[in-house]
Amino acid sequence: MRAGLCTMTVMTTLLVGAAAHGAPDPESAKLLKSTSDHAKFKVLEQDFKTGPEVTKACLSCHTEAAKQLHLTQHWTWEFLNPDGQRLGKKHVINNFCTSVASNYASCTTCHIGYGWKDDKFDFTSQVNVDCLICHDSTGNYRKQPGLAGNVVTQPMEIPPGSGIRVKPIDLKKIAQAVAKTSRDNCGACHFFGGGGDGVKHGDMDSSLASPDKALDVHMDATGNNFACATCHMTEGHQVPGSRYAPTAQDKGGAHLRGKEYTTNPTTCQSCHGQAPHKANAKLNDHTGKVACQTCHIPSYARGGIATKMSWDWSTAGKMGPDGKPLIRKDAKGHVIYTAAKGDFVLGENVVPDYMWFNGKVKYTLFGDKVDKGEQPTLINHFEGSASDGKSLIWPVKVMRGKQAYDPVNKTLAVLHMAGNDDTAFWTNFNWERAVAVGMASVGAPFSGKVDFLATESTWPITHMVAPAKDALRCRDCHASGGRLEKVPGIYIPGRASDHAGWLDAAGWAIAVLAMLGVLVHGAGRVIVSRRNK
Amino acid sequence: MKTRLSPINVLSYCLLGCSLFAGAAHAADGDWKRGRVYYQKVCTDCHTAKAGGAIAPNSRTMADWTSYLKADKHAKGKESLKKYASKEYRVSVKATNKAAEKYADVPDEQLFNDIRTFMLKGAKDGDSPASCL
Repeated sequence: MRAGLCTMTVMTTLLVGAAAHGAPDPESAKLLKSTSDHAKFKVLEQDFKTGPEVTKACLSCHTEAAKQLHLTQHWTWEFLNPDGQRLGKKHVINNFCTSVASNYASCTTCHIGYGWKDDKFDFTSQVNVDCLICHDSTGNYRKQPGLAGNVVTQPMEIPPGSGIRVKPIDLKKIAQAVAKTSRDNCGACHFFGGGGDGVKHGDMDSSLASPDKALDVHMDATGNNFACATCHMTEGHQVPGSRYAPTAQDKGGAHLRGKEYTTNPTTCQSCHGQAPHKANAKLNDHTGKVACQTCHIPSYARGGIATKMSWDWSTAGKMGPDGKPLIRKDAKGHVIYTAAKGDFVLGENVVPDYMWFNGKVKYTLFGDKVDKGEQPTLINHFEGSASDGKSLIWPVKVMRGKQAYDPVNKTLAVLHMAGNDDTAFWTNFNWERAVAVGMASVGAPFSGKVDFLATESTWPITHMVAPAKDALRCRDCHASGGRLEKVPGIYIPGRASDHAGWLDAAGWAIAVLAMLGVLVHGAGRVIVSRRNK
Repeated sequence: MKTRLSPINVLSYCLLGCSLFAGAAHAADGDWKRGRVYYQKVCTDCHTAKAGGAIAPNSRTMADWTSYLKADKHAKGKESLKKYASKEYRVSVKATNKAAEKYADVPDEQLFNDIRTFMLKGAKDGDSPASCL
């Protein structure tokens, strides 16, 4: 009996200890995050075999969620430009991996759906909406390339024949731990745009999953720790702040709680207002001409991950001495050539280019006439000027490349790159066959000839906001050879292009004359006072 | 000889079971994101500055990390590894380390478990192999 009491005392202590050890604060914090513990939902206590099975379970409670998703660009990959151009990933062509068309099973790894393997995908299906890609909190949810957005629930070899075994994911565990979106969720696709970490945007890469303050003051994991949705304030799954519909200049003030706004909530002004500089109010005089990002993002790709600055497809297809597809790396171990993709130039801590931008972007699309001239073909073109009253000077990344086109029909080429078939470029390294299949997939004519032309695309820089102490200083722009040296249509004191030699000479002459006047006048005073004595 | 358990003993064993379960559940449920921040901003920062470079979670297997963490040895066995996740350590560096400052009040075992969860998840054969970034 005594032994039993003793044991009970010890066990009680252990249990109480464990409870205390569970730390009330974090438990309370966890409790306060949500009114629902999804691990307690019967419908989620299933051994799910596919993604759509999970979605079906989600929709049994969240009845309208899929319909909301169906309205988003994340689902449709379409956007109608105000000028009538049909854009979105489904339609545009870029100078990275070029286009989604004829490469669906690979590209749709980043679609928020399951099973988009060709142009017959059912966009009305609710169960094909992928809830977990945005709401997984375990960090273990993965979509493997080539599976049309489906997930691996049985051990698989990917790519087939590679010998690389991919472990299945535990859909039940993941479904029971769903949460609000985090940087990791959005980053699973947006950090890896263009075919790899940091490749496309330059201001978004996996270093933003857990950044410090120097990399981004808002997302700083040890400070503000913003999720993407803190700025991209989402309602009904509609995420504002797409680069297809950018707000180049926000003339509104800071958004107040309780007040309804129809303007974009992702702009700097929607929190900071129009006069954010308190200590040095002179800086507020700049906000009518210069985007906040221009001064506050002094460089991009600052997190230790290089971004692609140029991509030359024309050199792709080389084999090494061993007869296998060639790969070359630079001194840092970065891949700078692959037979599959050609040559790359990478950049870290890159100083942006600067240009006037009014929010309108014009794209070169399939079928638009292009030609091999002295100037590169603009894949997209940022509109704006100093005089339109709508533009600000924006920092941008300019991506340069050489990509395939049909020199007879004078159109950009659609490439069939990825796929387990003998026409995919990454399988056979034959341009003509790959382009023939690609062009046929969009119903475009193809002459049978492939050539390469220089292209440029422009990407706004808006993430990786540095602390105020690292923002640009006056001398960065108000000096000869400053950052804004090439920006036209505006007078910037101090820069070389705004120097007028005659004006400088006149100014100095006036200064010298004034000094002479002071000296003569002073001398006269001295002489007169001596005489009077 | 048949031994009969007294009600007190039965209750004791129930409590033992509960406490073990609680401990196991706790070990399994570490906050990997907090562990990641601490691993990157405290462990890796210090290793990079003073110990010859970072050690990526994906440079070891889950078994390697499990035995390393269990051994609780740091600096070639000269110190306890847990010391570097302790409140005492965090307080000592919080003036210069924002992650240590942010997590200054997290109980030692809890933070250690968070770090463990991140390392195992990020191991070479873990669910989500992680580099140092």
